[in-house]
Amino acid sequence: MTNNRPFLGFGLGLRTDHYQHVIEKKPQVDWFEIISENYMVPGGKPLANLDKIRANYPMVMHGVSMSIGSTDPLNMQYLKDLKALIQRVEPFWYSDHLCWTHVKQTNSHDLLPLPYNEATIAHIVDRIGQVQDFIGRPMLIENLSSYVTYNESEMPEWQFFNDIAKRSGCYLLLDINNIFVSANNHHFAPVDYINGVDIDKVMQFHLAGHSYQGDMIIDTHDHDVCDPVWDLYAIALKRFGAVSTMIERDDNIPDFPELRAELAIAEKIAADVLTPNELLIAGQPVLQGAA
Amino acid sequence: MSTLQHLQNEFINHLLSEPSDIVQHIQSTPTYSASERLNIYAYAYKARLKEALETDYEKLHNYLGDEQFDQLLELYIKKHPSKHTSLRHFGTSMVTLLSEEAPYKQLPVLAEIATIEAAFADSFDAKDANVVTLDNLAALPPAAWETLNFSFQPSLQLPPLSFNSFDIWKALGNEQAPPETEPFEQANMWVIWRDIELISRYRPLSEAEAAALSLAVVGMPFPTICEELLNHFTEDETPLKAISFLQNWVQEGLISMFHF
Repeated sequence: MTNNRPFLGFGLGLRTDHYQHVIEKKPQVDWFEIISENYMVPGGKPLANLDKIRANYPMVMHGVSMSIGSTDPLNMQYLKDLKALIQRVEPFWYSDHLCWTHVKQTNSHDLLPLPYNEATIAHIVDRIGQVQDFIGRPMLIENLSSYVTYNESEMPEWQFFNDIAKRSGCYLLLDINNIFVSANNHHFAPVDYINGVDIDKVMQFHLAGHSYQGDMIIDTHDHDVCDPVWDLYAIALKRFGAVSTMIERDDNIPDFPELRAELAIAEKIAADVLTPNELLIAGQPVLQGAA
Repeated sequence: MSTLQHLQNEFINHLLSEPSDIVQHIQSTPTYSASERLNIYAYAYKARLKEALETDYEKLHNYLGDEQFDQLLELYIKKHPSKHTSLRHFGTSMVTLLSEEAPYKQLPVLAEIATIEAAFADSFDAKDANVVTLDNLAALPPAAWETLNFSFQPSLQLPPLSFNSFDIWKALGNEQAPPETEPFEQANMWVIWRDIELISRYRPLSEAEAAALSLAVVGMPFPTICEELLNHFTEDETPLKAISFLQNWVQEGLISMFHF
C-alpha cells in the first residue's frame, strides 16, 4: 500500500434522519461523508445543522451532479457553489462519480454509464483537469453500479478507471457494493475488478446494500450490506491496506445506533485483516494544493 | 458530433420517451435484452422525479388523491424535464403548469396550494440574514423616522391568495377533510418566514397589515406606510397602529436591517 494515503477510519453518510441524534448524542464515528448538493443552498437549517456537526466530526464531501462525463460544458455555477462549500466544510477530500448526469441541459438526476474507450478517457481526463484547476485540489472519482454495456466499450471498467486516475491525477473512491452489483449484472468476477485497480490510487471505500430485481441487482442503498459484499471488502482490504471506509444508506434508513452497529462489522473485518499499525488514524488535512 | 455526444443524446431521448436509437448501442445478454436493461434507467428516471415532486407537494397530493396526482406528475415530467442540477428545484414550475394547463387551470385553488408549498420550501433554505431587535428600534434617532425603511429576511414570502387555500392546506396537513373552496372578494395575504430558531412560521395578515407590509417589503419608507394606513384607520389611530405593526415585525424576526 502507498505510504502517504491518509486513513480516516470508519465513517457514515450523514442523513437528515440522524441529525438530531448526531448533534445531541455525539456518537462515536470517525467521520461523516456529506452529499454536497444537499448543502449547496443559500441558508437555513441544512447549513446550520452541517456547521454544528462539522464542529464535532471530520468530513468528506461526495457529489452526485458534477456530470464529469457529459458532453455538455462543465457547469461553472455548480463548480463555484461546490468550491464555496469546500471552503466552508474544509473536507479531507471531495468526490463525484465516473458518469454523466445531464446532456442538452436536461438533467436525468441519475448516474448514467459511459462507454469505456480511449476517446471517453481523453474527454474525462480533460474535464477532471479543469475541475481540479478550478477547485485547486485533486478530486476522487467513484465507480458506478450499472445495468448496460455499450457496444462502443473497448476495455474493462477497472482499466478505464485506472487510466483516468493515472492521467488526470485524481484519486479513486472504490465502491465495493457497486463492484458486486456490476459484476452480477455484467457477468464478470468481482475479484478481477479488485485485483485490476491500481493500489496507490484508492483513497476511500463505499459499502452499501442493494436489491434484486429478477437476476439483476439494483443499487438501492435500502438494505444492510450483504455477506458477499463483506467478503469482497475483506479481499479489498488485503489488497489495498487501510482505506477510509463508510456505509451509504439512502432509503429504509434505520435508527442511528443500528447503522453504527453495521459499521462495527467493517471495523471488525478491518481489525482481522490489517495490523494495528495500519489502522492508526491520520490526523492532518490532505489532498491540498494543486492537482 | 462525437460518438459520446450521440450516445448521450440518444440515451436522454430514451429517458424522455422520445425517439431514440440507443438500443442499437447496448449489448444484450441471454437473460436481459438491451431494451430491458435500458428500461431500468427509464423506470428509475420517472420514479426519482415523481418522488421529488411527491416530497415537494405533499398537500397537493393529499388534495388530488393518488390517481389524479400521478396523472399530474406524468404531465409535469413530460412538460418540464429537469434543467436543474439539484432535485430540490425540479418542481419549481408546478404553479405555472397548474395555472396554464387544463383541466388544472379550471381549479385555481390547486395552483394556490402549490404556491403555499413552494413558498415554505423557498423559505426553509433561503439565505440567512441578520435580525434587528426591539432595542435597535428603540435606539433609532428621532430624525430616522422621516426616511426609515427596511430590509426583510430573504425567507419572507407573501403568497397572495384568492381562495381559502391556506385553510385547505392546513386541513390537509392535519389529515382532516379540506373545507369547500371559497373565493375571497379581495386577495387574502399570509406571511411565511423562518424565525431566528430556523422554524418555519406563518400567519394571516389583516387587510391593513397586508397593505403596510406590501409597501414595506418593496422599500417604501415609514411615512408612506402611515399614509396608506390612513385608508384603514382614523388619523388618531394610525401612528399607533403603524408602530404596532412594526414592533410585531421586529419581534417576529421579519426585519433584517433598518435604513435611514
